[in-house]
Amino acid sequence: MSTAPAPQPQQTQQGKSKFNVYTIEECPACGQKTKRAFQVGDYITKDGANCSKCGNVTKMTLIYAEPVVKSK
Amino acid sequence: MPTLANMSLQFGSDVSSLLNIVWLLSFFVFIVYGQRIQVYIVGNDISRALNRLKLMKDKSRKEAVDYFVGTGKTSADPAVKIDEFLEYVTIMPVDLDPQGIVGKIEHITETRDERVRGEVKKMLPNAEPIKVSVAENILEIASSLNMIHKIVRHYYLLGKKTNSYILLVQLQMIMPQVLMEADALINAVDTFKLGQPVGDGIGPIIASKYMANVPKQVIAKDTVMSVTEYKGRTLYVLKAEGPMGYVGEPGLAIQKVIEEMNIPLNAIIMVDAALKLEGEKTGDVAEGIGAAIGGIGTDKFRIEEVSSKHKVPVYAILVKQSILEAITVMRKEITDASDRVHTLIGNLIEEKTKEGDKVLLAGIGNSLGVGQ
Repeated sequence: MSTAPAPQPQQTQQGKSKFNVYTIEECPACGQKTKRAFQVGDYITKDGANCSKCGNVTKMTLIYAEPVVKSK
Repeated sequence: MPTLANMSLQFGSDVSSLLNIVWLLSFFVFIVYGQRIQVYIVGNDISRALNRLKLMKDKSRKEAVDYFVGTGKTSADPAVKIDEFLEYVTIMPVDLDPQGIVGKIEHITETRDERVRGEVKKMLPNAEPIKVSVAENILEIASSLNMIHKIVRHYYLLGKKTNSYILLVQLQMIMPQVLMEADALINAVDTFKLGQPVGDGIGPIIASKYMANVPKQVIAKDTVMSVTEYKGRTLYVLKAEGPMGYVGEPGLAIQKVIEEMNIPLNAIIMVDAALKLEGEKTGDVAEGIGAAIGGIGTDKFRIEEVSSKHKVPVYAILVKQSILEAITVMRKEITDASDRVHTLIGNLIEEKTKEGDKVLLAGIGNSLGVGQ
């Protein structure tokens, strides 16, 4: 799975924890997965950007939150 | 003339007498006023919690007003209408004679939902369906917090008014859970505003995988269905219509499939989020039998009625999560359970049905941010 460098994920606060929300775009042709920051308007099954490997239109397959890892 | 030794002896006995008097006095005070002191301490504790609830209630109301102003882009102030919504009551039917009460509850809740959606659409006439559904959800959160605050305030004031220690202590004991639920609700506002899938949406996410690249039809209000094929079986997949924040009417949809479309189902598989018990891990998957669906109970009733009448076995797959996780943005631990759920669905279909059979898969939950 490749990771798109920009934009930086917006942090959301839930209770005492902070989360980054990501969207996963998957290419139906070659299976390439790209993880990028969630943007308003994203939803699962929506068409995403073109695949960086084969150029096909990707589909958004997952949207999830991961806790922010504090760097020491 | 008193000597120095005599003076210290006299002073010492005075202090000890004084301490004895204070001790006896405090003993007397605690016997007579002990309960009042406890009422004061417990009351202060509840008062602090009540202030927190008030802050949450006010914040959710402000968020609702801001959302309507931002989405509706009208000069009219929606605050008055929103305040009316917050005080909106649903009167449940009388249960002295419970025969047919589910139909009555269904009718009342449908009327309420229609009324709320109609009013929201009037306030946001040009908004996309997803924004209308988000507005409905935010209003529901604000309304729930308003109701929680009102009920807690009622019992707090009643306890103080009647000096009822028992009433206040009972309220104090449940306050941590009440605050936990209120916290979950206020945290959910941001998730809904951004249109992100919530933890409860795991059922629709699973169902959407089976609906990819096949036609969809509306089978009940806010509910869509696709017909596909899985290892020689006909698979009927249904979920609430996304990416709007709807839960649909899966009970009515399943009833229609069996009784109106006359499809002889051999199995129903329901995938839903389930509240975990303390100590259980988020994303744990459990299998079971029976209708896996929450809510007021009308959908569950319909599914149980129709499945028992037509002798269709109902299998449940549950993904565990807390109340906070269920109504806020989907956590990775929950999406990680998807693979295990797909494996279980495959195993159930292969073990419990044979080629040529008809199976219905229902992804239960809020479809916000989950298309089909």
